[in-house]
Amino acid sequence: MHSKSSLRTPLARVRGLGSAKSGTGHFWKQRLSALALVPLSIAFIWLVAQLAGADHGQAVAIISSPLTGILLLLFLLSGLVHMRIGMQVVIEDYVHQEGAKVLCLMANTFFTIAVGFACVYAVLKISFGM
Amino acid sequence: MVQLTLPKNSRMTEGKVWPKPDGHDGKPATNLKEYRIYRWSPDDGANPRIDTYFVDLDDCGPMILDGLIWIKSKIDPTLTFRRSCREGICGSCAMNIDGTNTLACTTGMDAVDGAIKIYPLPHMPVVKDLVPDLTRFYAQHASIEPWLKTDTAAPEKEWRQSHEDRLKLDGLYECILCACCSTSCPSYWWNGDRYLGPAVLLQAYRWLIDSRDEHTGERLDQLEDPFRLYRCHTIMNCSKACPKGLNPAKAIAEIKQMMVARQF
Amino acid sequence: MSNKPASAAYTGQAYPITDHTHDVVVVGAGGAGLRATVGASQAGLRTACITKVFPTRSHTVAAQGGVAASLGNMGPDNWQWHMYDTVKGSDWLGDQDAIEYLVRNAPAAVYELEHWGVPFSRTEDGRIYQRPFGGMTTDFGRGPPAQRTCAAADRTGHAMLHTLYGQALRNNTEFFIEYFAIDLIMDEDGRCRGVIALKLDDGTLHRFRGQQTILATGGYGRAYFSATSAHTCTGDGNAMALRAGLALQDMEFVQFHPTGIYGAGCLITEGSRGEGGYLTNSEGERFMERYAPSTKDLASRDVVSRAMTMEIREGRGVGKKKDHLFLHLDHLDPAILHERLPGISDSARIFAGVDVSREPIPVLPTVHYNMGGIPTNYHGEVLTLRDGDPDSVVPGLMALGEAACVSVHGANRLGSNSLIDLVVFGRAAGLRCGETLTAGEKQPDLPKDSADLALSRLDHFRNAAGGTPTAVLRGEMQHVMQTNCAVYRTGETLEEGSELIHKVWKSAADLGVTDRSLVWNTDLVETMEFDNLIQQAVVTMDSAKNRKESRGAHAREDFKDRDDKNWMKHTLAFLDQSSQTVSIDYRPVHSYTMSNDIEYIEPKARVY
Repeated sequence: MHSKSSLRTPLARVRGLGSAKSGTGHFWKQRLSALALVPLSIAFIWLVAQLAGADHGQAVAIISSPLTGILLLLFLLSGLVHMRIGMQVVIEDYVHQEGAKVLCLMANTFFTIAVGFACVYAVLKISFGM
Repeated sequence: MVQLTLPKNSRMTEGKVWPKPDGHDGKPATNLKEYRIYRWSPDDGANPRIDTYFVDLDDCGPMILDGLIWIKSKIDPTLTFRRSCREGICGSCAMNIDGTNTLACTTGMDAVDGAIKIYPLPHMPVVKDLVPDLTRFYAQHASIEPWLKTDTAAPEKEWRQSHEDRLKLDGLYECILCACCSTSCPSYWWNGDRYLGPAVLLQAYRWLIDSRDEHTGERLDQLEDPFRLYRCHTIMNCSKACPKGLNPAKAIAEIKQMMVARQF
Repeated sequence: MSNKPASAAYTGQAYPITDHTHDVVVVGAGGAGLRATVGASQAGLRTACITKVFPTRSHTVAAQGGVAASLGNMGPDNWQWHMYDTVKGSDWLGDQDAIEYLVRNAPAAVYELEHWGVPFSRTEDGRIYQRPFGGMTTDFGRGPPAQRTCAAADRTGHAMLHTLYGQALRNNTEFFIEYFAIDLIMDEDGRCRGVIALKLDDGTLHRFRGQQTILATGGYGRAYFSATSAHTCTGDGNAMALRAGLALQDMEFVQFHPTGIYGAGCLITEGSRGEGGYLTNSEGERFMERYAPSTKDLASRDVVSRAMTMEIREGRGVGKKKDHLFLHLDHLDPAILHERLPGISDSARIFAGVDVSREPIPVLPTVHYNMGGIPTNYHGEVLTLRDGDPDSVVPGLMALGEAACVSVHGANRLGSNSLIDLVVFGRAAGLRCGETLTAGEKQPDLPKDSADLALSRLDHFRNAAGGTPTAVLRGEMQHVMQTNCAVYRTGETLEEGSELIHKVWKSAADLGVTDRSLVWNTDLVETMEFDNLIQQAVVTMDSAKNRKESRGAHAREDFKDRDDKNWMKHTLAFLDQSSQTVSIDYRPVHSYTMSNDIEYIEPKARVY
């Protein structure tokens, strides 16, 4: 009717490039990571409480315990996965210019990987006392 | 980026305040209700404006639509809106009333304190006054192929359907395609070109859950898409808006569950 | 398609016209229009469907109770019993060949709908649920009420219309949505060649040329003040036929539905009485037991509406003004109300402020259906009286649904027979198109003046600068029809009514239209709709004045009995536009059936 910007039929425009036949993995991962983050966040808060007021030596000692280290790694990885896919949704929602969108999505991935590796490196370093 | 402010030529201006009507006895009517209505016509190139009208409640039915028709009949015949059945089944008179998308015919004037503010359904191109262009909404509805698909040879009589299976269609088939829900959904506002929106997904689920349909898998394939389905962020405006009391958000959640169920 | 200026310019302006050519042009996208559209598309014909509202907003959507077909899912039933009930319901004015066609094809039409996806309510063993309805009996009226009306809760019309729309999509129908049809194109041989329509969203004119034009434009309930009909029920096709010089048949038969909500006029389905609801007067009496001892509240609609009017007249109405009655559903199991009557429970709450599980609904007989319309045979082909032949086919033109008068409903339609009428005759029209037309056949050029009638009317109303707004005249018309052509009629009220309604029509010369825009000009459209309505109102009043007997919905207090000797015939009313006069002629009622499987059902006293 009034959308004169295109001579394609409304149905052609609505069908667009067709179904991507994906998205369920994304949806599932977001729920799974959210679920994992419930206990892991509690553990993390508990850890922060432990570290409050501790000096460097005590802090290293607490984190380098295997259980703490593993919980911390799990928390970081789940959090980063959750953050990345959540951020991806926000970008897809609000950034509509195709080039900017792809750039943002790439930056989101690179940022997550960089932050992730830095975190893992730090925890491992403390755990193994390197 | 998403446009968060109105373009210059869409900014609202203050329109005409129409004189208060006279009552039956020729004296000024006293039992009045104020309507503040969005007006825009492509003819004059002017910005949209808000016109103010006063409805004589002693001469008019109780519903918002009664008031609109009264204004069109008695004050300003140029006021433009869609209407048909006036009993909430055809879905023509969907509009934004006092900030909520709903049907003018089933909403009483007494539901609104003070002046009744009426706008067209949000985030749709406006044709004129309260008439939005729903072309894309209808095309999206057509895109989910809203008809029964079977491959088994049809029986001589009816397809059998258990009473329980039929009950699953309640709360779904009653949709009147008024678009109140879809146009209340922020996700549909931002991404309505690719996201199917709650009304159409509710209809999609109506065919997914119909025990007679044999194309459930293909239907799911067509919906499994980051935009078509997964732009739903469970905001729930849809279920709050539906004038028929349906729950599109729940239907969408059920579709997502079906998507997951077929993965494992 | 091509754009060329109209052959003539009116008041100095030329309207550009876009031309379209199709094999079949359907006007109207209600149940009948969509069913015919689907049928013609399936027959391989290039089909256009023109509609002034989006298809699922057509008034079929508001049908509640169900669609009648003798499936026999709830007990013994057969088409012969259905036929008897329909003939008796019609007060023997129905054409029995058409009625036979209807009832015999009904079960297949319902199964087809089911196969297309209509979400019918179900019995415990998974079959289509059927409920009792007024006038539907077993064993030729001798047995108990029949459960014949197939239902999808109390939203059967909605379920059907949405399903039919889906089928039209599936068959890639070419829709022209929000186009207002103005007038038919007739050539000098009396053949219909298409239709001219106004595209609402940009005000352009479109000329549709077709081998076959099908009018499925519904009834004209809005000629009355209080009607269950939608605002869009303005009988545009009927009026187009009148202007094309064709007759409308049996227009005096206007059905009042017994249970419109008092005040709002919204419909409460007869299915509510089918599920056990009953009417009471101010004394709490179930008065229908007096008027129809055997079928009581499930007598046919004209009988119940007359009984209600009588109760109110005799001072047994309820409410402050004692001007309405109560419909009780409060004794029904809330689970039944919830499952089978959810829609009317909502309607009663919204429009009457009533909780049906606790209180009765205030109701009043309300204009609901027009038995009359464009005369057709059971293929949907329009008939006219020509050279003494009352069944002469108008080539190129069909009519369906409420716009048509086949006549299967005669003087009074039975509830749930209209939905089956839509699909059976919609299907018949599609089949007929398939038989008689060749896809893509070259069509001769249209006559030079093909757009003149439509253009002159459009231009006239668009520039109408008189002193009377459309709404005022519409109000006067509705008031006259409501007062002078209601449930009970007398020679006096009809004489007066005729005078008054002609006066309204004459004063239309002073019409004034305010909106001069061409984009979505509803002021203009409502004015053209009023012009359509007033022509039908005039014809209705004069047909009623002319018929001096009581039959079905036409109840004359001065002629209380049915008079088969003089009036067993269809009224044909023609309208002369220039002199604004009605002339009346007749068609015989078919006194034969379609096949030898059943004999003509002889007239007898109609007692429920």
